[in-house]
Amino acid sequence: MSTETFKTLPALLLGLALAVFLLVGLFSRLRRGTSSSYYGVGVRSIGRIGIGAAIASNWMSAASFLGIAGIFYVKGYFAFAYVVGWTGGYVLLLILMASQIRRFGKYTAPEFVGARYDSPLARLLAAVIAILISLIYCVAQYKGIGLVFSWIFGLDYTRSLLLGTLVVISYLVISGTLGASRNQRFQYAVLILSFLLPLMLIASKLGYNGLLPQISYGKALQDLAGTPARIETAPWAHGSPYQWLALCFTLMLGTAGLPHVLSRFYTVPNVRDARWSVVWGLFFIGLLYWSAPAYAAFARVWQVRHGLPPMAPEMADLVVIKAGEWAGIPLWVVGIIAVGAISAAFSTVSGLLITGAGAFSYDIYCRFLNPQASESKRMRVAKGATLVLAALVVLVAAQPLGMIAEITAVAFALAGNTLFPVFLLGIWWDRANKQGAIAGMLTGTAITLCALLLPPGSALGALFPWTSSAFLGAPLVVLVMIVASLATPPPPEEIRRFLAENVHSP
Amino acid sequence: MSGGTESPGPAKDYRVNFFKPRAGFMRREVRFIWLMLAGWSLLTFGFPLYLAWTEWTADGTGPLTVTTLFGFPFHYWFSGQFLIVWFIFLCFLFNVLVDHLIDRFRHPRAHGGDRHVH
Repeated sequence: MSTETFKTLPALLLGLALAVFLLVGLFSRLRRGTSSSYYGVGVRSIGRIGIGAAIASNWMSAASFLGIAGIFYVKGYFAFAYVVGWTGGYVLLLILMASQIRRFGKYTAPEFVGARYDSPLARLLAAVIAILISLIYCVAQYKGIGLVFSWIFGLDYTRSLLLGTLVVISYLVISGTLGASRNQRFQYAVLILSFLLPLMLIASKLGYNGLLPQISYGKALQDLAGTPARIETAPWAHGSPYQWLALCFTLMLGTAGLPHVLSRFYTVPNVRDARWSVVWGLFFIGLLYWSAPAYAAFARVWQVRHGLPPMAPEMADLVVIKAGEWAGIPLWVVGIIAVGAISAAFSTVSGLLITGAGAFSYDIYCRFLNPQASESKRMRVAKGATLVLAALVVLVAAQPLGMIAEITAVAFALAGNTLFPVFLLGIWWDRANKQGAIAGMLTGTAITLCALLLPPGSALGALFPWTSSAFLGAPLVVLVMIVASLATPPPPEEIRRFLAENVHSP
Repeated sequence: MSGGTESPGPAKDYRVNFFKPRAGFMRREVRFIWLMLAGWSLLTFGFPLYLAWTEWTADGTGPLTVTTLFGFPFHYWFSGQFLIVWFIFLCFLFNVLVDHLIDRFRHPRAHGGDRHVH
């Protein structure tokens, strides 16, 4: 049951934005002059700042756009485990993996695993895991899409979810048919402006400094401190130090192990640009994370001034939009926030569905089910898989599962428990072999799934929180990989030589 | 080629081990990585542990949470805003160091014949 009404202006803006994205995608493809691959990763030198913007746009999803403010609205300081985890992970990625992955020269995570461990089975497992990660990550995005659609169109959550899915799929099909590529720098510019400019308006409407809302919301926090609607800034008000650290660490490992984040580095023209673009990417991501908590703080300020109780946690993920609506900024500006959120979710969903479908058609179907498949058959399978994945995600997203940031964290836990150890040891230990990788990926998947099922009150459930199982899980998986590798013959000398002489040379 | 022959090549050392890096480029790079890991973990994990260590009450209120900076409680500003700056700085520093290292190792042996790439 929705209390929202149909809003014409935001709905028009949404249609306009999607049309513009399509046109820009078509235009950048024409300018590029080559047909981009199904993975949508056109290879062209666009400079370090441009690649950084592409990293940031690739990264920014509904979890960043809506989820951070939502979780901050509910849990206060505890939400910084997400902010710190999702930025600090890039440090790990840069110092441990970025240049080595680039020098290894494979295009997807399953391909890397297959080549490094010289094992079709390891590649199959990595593909299945990549698909699972895409699915979980998509569920969180769909939740965001459902919420924002219900705000725009005044429908209840389930109907909005279906409508949103329909729009996502038509968008994918249309852009696929027209051959539009994703212009990620343009998308970043749209996303960040639609996040920052309305925030400045909201701040000045409520009487705070509108030029730097990232700093002036400190005053809002102080104003809230004495009221019943205060945001908990005390460190452990919503989670113990262990829970904070476990979540933060899990998100960091997951960041460095997510297939769609890793694949950004395969396509950068050279190693030095790959490294420097991380610095820019992190700055561009930081712009969003410095600002997101301000939305939550301003929303609470308005509620206190009007004597209203805080929103229910189920609705908190909509706080970015609600803050704008309440503060009384023009409806079309609020619409811009909503459209920004939708495009963040859309670009992530289309990237993830394509990654997932690519893993299925390329790594599973062509390798195991039908090795003689023609190229056109493979494309048909990839497109079919995209639809099946999209339908699966709707089924899961219709259930009430948790907040957007929390669902996303599960995808990070899975990546941190499986792909991160496999990449880490694959790059930094020549003795790691296929038996180790297979045992490690199986253990990691089992740990992540078990953590979802453990009762929260139990002793094990306290050690492996459902969003944070990689804190203990990943070290355990590394241990399993070391033991299994040492108990079995070393990998072929060819691979070890490639690793030593190509991957680890200046 | 089929692997499994245990005989370590007489001259070639293909060892890649983060804890026992080969002398030369890899050892120096790993030294930088350790430096960054130290800076990364100290502030990311050391800070919350320090908060927990100095707390007055169970919710973590302590000397750093009553100090304010830019209008924020200090611990809040540190975790929510400063750490991102710190991460950007670490990445920047690492890139500068590694760029130097690569230039030093590339140029003296630009025509060295010790790369067997097939």
